Amino acid sequence: MSANWRLGIDVGGTFNDLVAVREGDGLRIDYKQPSVPADPSKAVEAGLRGLMEKAGVVPGQVSRIMHGTTLALNTILQRRGARLAMVVSRGNGDVLEIARSRVASAFDFTLKRETPLIPRNRVYEIDARIMADGCIDARPDAAALDALAERIAATRVDAVAVMLLNSYRHPELEAEVAQAIRQRLPGLAVTASAAVWPELREYERAMLAALNAYVQPLMESYLDRLAQRLAALGLTAPLFITTNNGGSVALASARARPIEAALSGPSSGVTAAIREAPARLRDRLVTLDMGGTSTDMAVVLDALPEYTNEARIGDFPVILPVVAVTAIGAGGGSQIMIDAQGVMKVGPESAGSDPGPVCYGRGGETPTVTDCYLTTGILAADAFLGGRMPLDAQSAAAALSQLGAGFGIDGAGAGARTAAAALRVATAMMAVELSKLLARRGLDHRDFTLVAFGGAGATHATMLAAEAGLPQVLIPRTPGTFCALGAALADVRRDYARSLAAMLTADGEGYGPIALVLDELVTEASDWARAEADGNGALPLHFQVMAEMRFGDQAHALEVFVPEDQREQLDGPALLELFHQEHARLYGFSSRDDAVRVSTLRVSVSAPSGELPDPPMVMSVSAPPQSRPVFNAGQWVEAEVRRRSGLAAGNVIAGPAIIEQDDTTVWIVPGWSARVEPDGNLLISPDQEDER
Amino acid sequence: MTLDATEFEILRHKTTAAAEEMGLTLQRSARTIYVKEVSDFATAIAGLDGKAFAYPEMLGVSAFVDLDLRPTLAAFPDLAPGDVILSNLPYANGALSTHLPDLQLVRPFFHGERLIGYGWSMAHTSDIGGGVPSSISPRFSDIYQEGLQIPPVRLLHQGRMDDGVLAIYRANCRSPRTNMGDVRAMLSALETGERRIAAIAAAHGDDAVIGFQTQLADYACEKARPILDLIPEGSFDYWDYLDHDFVSNIPVRLRCRLTREGSRIHLDFTGTDPQLASAFNLPTAGLRNPYLTIRLLHLLTSHDPTAPYNHGLLRDIEADAPAGSVLNPQYPAACGVRHATVMRLIDTVSGALHLANPALAPVAGGGTVLPVVLVDHDPVTGEARPMVIQSIVCGSGARDGSDGVDGREAGLSNTRNSPIERTEDEAPVLVEHYGLRCNSGGPGRWRGGCGLVYTIRMLKDDLSVLARGLERFRFAPWGGAGGRPAPNCRVVVNIGREDERELMRIDMLPLRKGDTITFMTPGGGGFGDPFSRPPEAVLADVLSGFVSIEAAACDYGVAIRGEAVDAKATTAFRDGREGIRSDDIDAGSFRENWDAVLTDALVCRMIKALEPLPPTARARRRRRLYEAALPALASDEPLHLPDPASARAAFEREIAALEREVHA
Repeated sequence: MSANWRLGIDVGGTFNDLVAVREGDGLRIDYKQPSVPADPSKAVEAGLRGLMEKAGVVPGQVSRIMHGTTLALNTILQRRGARLAMVVSRGNGDVLEIARSRVASAFDFTLKRETPLIPRNRVYEIDARIMADGCIDARPDAAALDALAERIAATRVDAVAVMLLNSYRHPELEAEVAQAIRQRLPGLAVTASAAVWPELREYERAMLAALNAYVQPLMESYLDRLAQRLAALGLTAPLFITTNNGGSVALASARARPIEAALSGPSSGVTAAIREAPARLRDRLVTLDMGGTSTDMAVVLDALPEYTNEARIGDFPVILPVVAVTAIGAGGGSQIMIDAQGVMKVGPESAGSDPGPVCYGRGGETPTVTDCYLTTGILAADAFLGGRMPLDAQSAAAALSQLGAGFGIDGAGAGARTAAAALRVATAMMAVELSKLLARRGLDHRDFTLVAFGGAGATHATMLAAEAGLPQVLIPRTPGTFCALGAALADVRRDYARSLAAMLTADGEGYGPIALVLDELVTEASDWARAEADGNGALPLHFQVMAEMRFGDQAHALEVFVPEDQREQLDGPALLELFHQEHARLYGFSSRDDAVRVSTLRVSVSAPSGELPDPPMVMSVSAPPQSRPVFNAGQWVEAEVRRRSGLAAGNVIAGPAIIEQDDTTVWIVPGWSARVEPDGNLLISPDQEDER
Repeated sequence: MTLDATEFEILRHKTTAAAEEMGLTLQRSARTIYVKEVSDFATAIAGLDGKAFAYPEMLGVSAFVDLDLRPTLAAFPDLAPGDVILSNLPYANGALSTHLPDLQLVRPFFHGERLIGYGWSMAHTSDIGGGVPSSISPRFSDIYQEGLQIPPVRLLHQGRMDDGVLAIYRANCRSPRTNMGDVRAMLSALETGERRIAAIAAAHGDDAVIGFQTQLADYACEKARPILDLIPEGSFDYWDYLDHDFVSNIPVRLRCRLTREGSRIHLDFTGTDPQLASAFNLPTAGLRNPYLTIRLLHLLTSHDPTAPYNHGLLRDIEADAPAGSVLNPQYPAACGVRHATVMRLIDTVSGALHLANPALAPVAGGGTVLPVVLVDHDPVTGEARPMVIQSIVCGSGARDGSDGVDGREAGLSNTRNSPIERTEDEAPVLVEHYGLRCNSGGPGRWRGGCGLVYTIRMLKDDLSVLARGLERFRFAPWGGAGGRPAPNCRVVVNIGREDERELMRIDMLPLRKGDTITFMTPGGGGFGDPFSRPPEAVLADVLSGFVSIEAAACDYGVAIRGEAVDAKATTAFRDGREGIRSDDIDAGSFRENWDAVLTDALVCRMIKALEPLPPTARARRRRRLYEAALPALASDEPLHLPDPASARAAFEREIAALEREVHA
């Protein structure tokens, strides 16, 4: 019996999504398990048991378990992490109070500043100061460290973060202070900022160290509890935790740097989209992850997700590379309202999952986008989530028709007409966000395929694509458990960065210090990746190298990516050439006579989890086609209704049509047709002019 | 045509997004640091009436929601598709620009043959010529020194660039390559906008797009009404001061009368000082310039975050600034640093609002932004290399129900600070202290936000520090409703050492290795009686280091022992207090003395007396008058006003002399 099943688990607010993937033939089995917010590991255990039972897999057949958790994220959002103290250089004690000295909006004077994660009276200044050139301006003596330890001890904190100015380049003094505290206060967790992420920018580095320390105790105890539960199930396969960069790390790494896992959820969806899209479409994707409470979009270029180092969690910056995902205001739970001037508003208020839409029958009274799907007939009351969740169509229609009266919509079918109007507004809102996403990057929407997933992504996708002018929509096989699939398919991946002060002359001289840092980063990264993948030295590791570079007088650095095949031969002139190319691409020119500063190097290492074959198409007995009326463009049209499981490769379904599956409902607008691809994906595009 | 509630909302999202896409296009392809780093650019789509109806939310400068393209368009009755008008001269484009580096482009937007609106893009370019690199200096006395003046001219004729205009432009700026990049970015923003708006018109119809332009303004106006209704009937006067005009030591007064009459709101800036012989003038062309009403716009968007960014919000508002004043200077007054004036204008209108209804808006914030520039002189070549090492802001004013924001004030630009590590990486200085300034927030039931302290140590010789634009050394950010003003701005060299010295203003200050310079910015004013601030809140401030134990006792009447409130002593303090002012606005003792010398009536009389002189002559005559009446103003000595009565008498004498002179 070989261990060839990978299990992916994505913990959500309402459901845990699970998927089992067989490495040999790509066969997949999905499973959904209600979440247990009080002890998430319990639901994971129950879900795994259910999944293995459904897939007929025994623990010995499992090769690895890939887990995405929102625990770190929620810990920060709900401010229920560890009690922390921070140690900083003299004169810098207000670093968390000042942050970046900017208010959120100049046009809202009611806004306050964020409450710092660590209150000012638990931030301690110490006479420990490194200068930019590495000279020590002040070094604390034993007595000062004793006094510091005493003050920390008196505050009864769980953990301490140490951030000394310029430690990103000269980490020794900061490490010494951290060590001195550990020695004096054994048992206290102490994090040095440069050990987490040695990048120039003291506030962001301090916050990252603090956030890491903040979530660590809860994450450690969760991961330990989870490991115990897995062991109790007899699962001995290694456990990996998915990360913000769309990859994953082994348990020990996640315990050490749990902040890497905080934003993994949306990233996993993007990972899955790239892996699931046919190779010919992978270069230009927009992902649409639409659930009950949130909608995220991301752009994929050249089969790679876009990364940002300006992500935020609540009030705080996270400068680790995070898959760039844009949250937009409209989701399935977005509420439809009427403002004082009689104008229809969709969101930003959301009914969330509790009480949820009116049709959930849990006490929600304000109609939501989901109620609109139901009232227009796009959703069927008895077929939602494969019929497991009956919906109250009557209440939804009544709420919408009551709302419609406020806009002057009344008479027969007022509910459906109001719902259709609200869907038009929601679609327009989503479409303009999508357009802006592409405009920001100077990209042409006509080149992109929309990959839709999440509970409602497939339901809204063709309306959105038609409005935004995207020529194609891809609905993967299992959109409802897509993030779990992304987890199961994730590579082992981690990022390393270091800021430096290097200058390349116009001729490319001065590469020495850059080579040194790059070499160190690559060594550190590959040592980690090999250890992570079980000491297998033969793994084909991939390295992505990025250098932040700019002209001496330029305020804004450019991210210059080094193609993988150039990395080993990289030298000063080659790096300079890459910079000039990027500068010319962005600004239309470059000044080849000027010296260029290299301020930060970043290395991302990944150990690919390997391509999996497309899963075999499992066709159940094809049910006879049915139909139901859908209110579209001012009239009721009869839409063909099919079961996804009853479709075979090559089938073409012309809109208006509905494809129902256990985890979502696909709506195909009139004028668009879906084709079932050989791999089972649905590709939906507008009918050619001559076919209309 | 009237749109239904759905169509209207859809068009609102689409047109706003079109304006935002214009901004994104501009931002992505522009080259200037002002665009990339400070977001000093803007885009919008105007209706057939020349007023913007689609304006981005949170992208670029939001201040120009109420822009008016009509003066720019006036000379071009025959615009064709693909035409683009370029301008930068405030005195010729109806103050669409308020200083020369701001290039303005306007393009008619057509759908097919039909004109359906106008696109507008603006960017603060690196340089437009003139006496100094980057074209801005407070010292300039007229606009000829500030660079190339461009009245509205056609830059593109039906899509074809006018090479002559371009040649003149390129020849007149120091960085033509960068600037041309910006111009191209602005042009492509306009192309994007026209393409988008034409697509919207194609989907919804030209009439819908045109009808929407007025319907959105009506909607915005309706949104604004309940908020403007919070302003009671009547007139409310307030005036505030800039410390000086940089070239003299004489304070500059801005005055606002806010009047509510029926549904109308009127801002009258009569009583504002005559235009200056330095670059602090704010051109407004006698129109309702967006800067004149910006505080009211803040008021509306703060009270109703759903209010659309549309000129209809201001439909019930009028603004009048007298010709020849700082707020409506006449050609050729210099205007490069008008942002300092706008910050004080915000405080001035806030003051009038406070008197009308204290619950409406925060009291004064610190009111100054300080870009600290380090100049490294090469001892061999003599070359001077300037670097902006930090932009220091102040604290925000408190308001009814909330403390001010510490160490942050949105002001006009609201940009991020520079990390200490970035500064030390690039400049030969060590940042010894960058923190919140203790006791710098005005005391109040709601405390003003703390200002900042910034101390740098020079790591080598041959360095100079430039800090132009420092304000609030004399006139404090005011508090209200019993709240106290914030302490003034301070600059100290070698603080805590034997050779410590206090500075009043800095132009170019040479420093030696080991010297330190410390900037202390004001916090915001306080709101409400500080003796009614809950002792626990005062304790929290003391434990955080925002308020000292001494200040807790004397400003708040709260006794702190160790890390706790001494309730008994606190009660004794609070019951036994005397002499706490509870006037509506408290701007501090210097202001009190100054107003005692130069009463409102006296200043208004002086301004009136100056009026018969040509606008450019008023500054000189005014300076002579002040320096004759108060000779201390002619020196750089700190200003003391020990005997207001005799000082006032001196002014009365001088004003009488002036009156005789102009009538002669």
